Amino acid sequence: MHRYRAWIGAALGLVILWATFFTVRETEFVLVTQFGRPVRTVTAAGLNAKWPFQNARYFDRRLRVYNPRPSEFLTRDKKNLVIENYVCWQIDSPETFVRKVISEANAEARLHDVVWAGLSAALGNHDLESIVTPDPARTAAGRIFDRLTEETNSAALAQYGIRVVDVRIKRLNLPQQNKESVFARMRAERERIAKQYRAEGEEQALKIRADADRQKEEIVSVAYKQAEQTRGQGDAESTRIYGQAYSKNPQFYKLVRTLEAYKKVLDDKTTAILSSDSELLRLLTKGQ
Amino acid sequence: MGLSLELRPQVEAQPEAPAPWRFVPPRQHLTRRNVWGGLLLLWLASGLYLVSTDQQAVVTRFGKFHRIETPGIHYHWPYPIEQIHKLTADQLQAATIGGQPADGALGRTDPLRAQFLTGDQNIINVRAVVQYNVKSPREYLFRAYDISKTVGAAVESELGREIAGRSVDDVLTTEKIKIQEAVRQRAQTLLDSYDAGVAIYTVNIDRTAPPDEARDAFADVAGARADAARIVNQAEGYSNDLVPRARGEAQQLLESAQAYKQRKINESLGDASRFTQLAAEYSKAAAVTSHRLYVEAMEQVLPRIRKTIVDRQGGNVDLTIIRGERPQPRPATPASPQR
Repeated sequence: MHRYRAWIGAALGLVILWATFFTVRETEFVLVTQFGRPVRTVTAAGLNAKWPFQNARYFDRRLRVYNPRPSEFLTRDKKNLVIENYVCWQIDSPETFVRKVISEANAEARLHDVVWAGLSAALGNHDLESIVTPDPARTAAGRIFDRLTEETNSAALAQYGIRVVDVRIKRLNLPQQNKESVFARMRAERERIAKQYRAEGEEQALKIRADADRQKEEIVSVAYKQAEQTRGQGDAESTRIYGQAYSKNPQFYKLVRTLEAYKKVLDDKTTAILSSDSELLRLLTKGQ
Repeated sequence: MGLSLELRPQVEAQPEAPAPWRFVPPRQHLTRRNVWGGLLLLWLASGLYLVSTDQQAVVTRFGKFHRIETPGIHYHWPYPIEQIHKLTADQLQAATIGGQPADGALGRTDPLRAQFLTGDQNIINVRAVVQYNVKSPREYLFRAYDISKTVGAAVESELGREIAGRSVDDVLTTEKIKIQEAVRQRAQTLLDSYDAGVAIYTVNIDRTAPPDEARDAFADVAGARADAARIVNQAEGYSNDLVPRARGEAQQLLESAQAYKQRKINESLGDASRFTQLAAEYSKAAAVTSHRLYVEAMEQVLPRIRKTIVDRQGGNVDLTIIRGERPQPRPATPASPQR
């Protein structure tokens, strides 16, 4: 009997020990409740003690990423934009959280509402061009989301005990019904660019061909000019040489040259009527 | 020692109860103590653990971060006092943004996962793979609920932002490397601000493609670029063919002119020399020489031509006779050699 009492005592001690001490992991908050009423929150990890009749409720304090479904927003210039964003959040105050929200899934639904409202208000104040722009310096997206993060954070912190670390765009897109027109525009734009490439190619090719033609004309004409100059020099030189030689005896030149010309001019188609008085034939008829 | 102490009462009790089966319960009693001792030893021994070379171990005491152990053999206070969390810290982990690579290989696309809006409001499909590893084991283990989701969200957000700040042509062609680097840096900054304990190793954009609906148009642009290059090359070819030929032609002109000039000069020099020598002889006997030259010339000329010799002994000659008796062309007479 004595031995059993010891056993029972030991077991009871263990149970009390178990109910008194609890560990808080790095990833957790613990809310100590007494008959359902929150008494205190333990945020520091380690070994802790409570009264055995108190309860410990564990909450995951880690950073969660919530991806709301992509939703459509209207910008100030009445254009639709599908925004897929994500919300980084964690439980900040278990006491508020447990009273207002209860579960993580519920928290995300609440966050969705807050973010959606903030986002649609913010986008209503901006044009599409100030969010989607090829010039990163002009984009307002960063500012919009920084402000949205702050607003969401302060609202969620007060209402739900949730700390919103970041609200960000993951992806910008256009609504399905607008995409067809965007694709049509993209195609038109591509066709324009393709045409431009081809035309520019043609332009360059024509330039090259024209330049080649010009070079050819230039080279050939310069050569022609030089060639004619050379020929002229040859002609001039030869005329000078002839003149020099022939002017020594013009009479003899006349004779020789004329006789030369006869040899060329008179051929077998020529009919000559010669008078017997002629220089050659005088002897033929007159004998002297 | 304890065993011998426990044994003594049993040994003393033996003479009173000689039944042979009585020795079994004492052994039970004996072993119970041993079991407790053994269990305690086992419990203590369970604190031994090994950290292999690629690992790090984080030890928590009552849930609180206590220390990090490097590779080797270590001891920790067993459960429930201390707990170990082993991490392969250097091993790279991958997350894909914009659809799974396997889907792409099978020809499946998930447009909503892969489509991004560029700065000039074009839609483009981008898929990126991010590789990351553990930067700080403590944060990595305890800070984020789902590390890969957090990394994915941060990288996707920065990727979307970079793409939204550029034109579609830049994204498709020249800016890919810049985007990767910018995304890596900015996502790292973002994750550091979350204290995620993650180091992004690379962000690799492994696929950028226009959407299917406009693919042919994009392909046509590439074709147009090739066409333009081809046309230009053809023109270069034309030019390369034409200009050297023109140079050759020019050289030919110059050479032939030079040849003409030389020929002219040489010929005239020759002619002049011949004439001068002839003239020198001529002036020595002008009358005879002139007559000789005349007759020699006539000798050459007259055999070739048709001739009618008219003797006009006073009175006129009736030339109509010539028309009547047209002499047939003579059979070729060997003409005296021309010079």
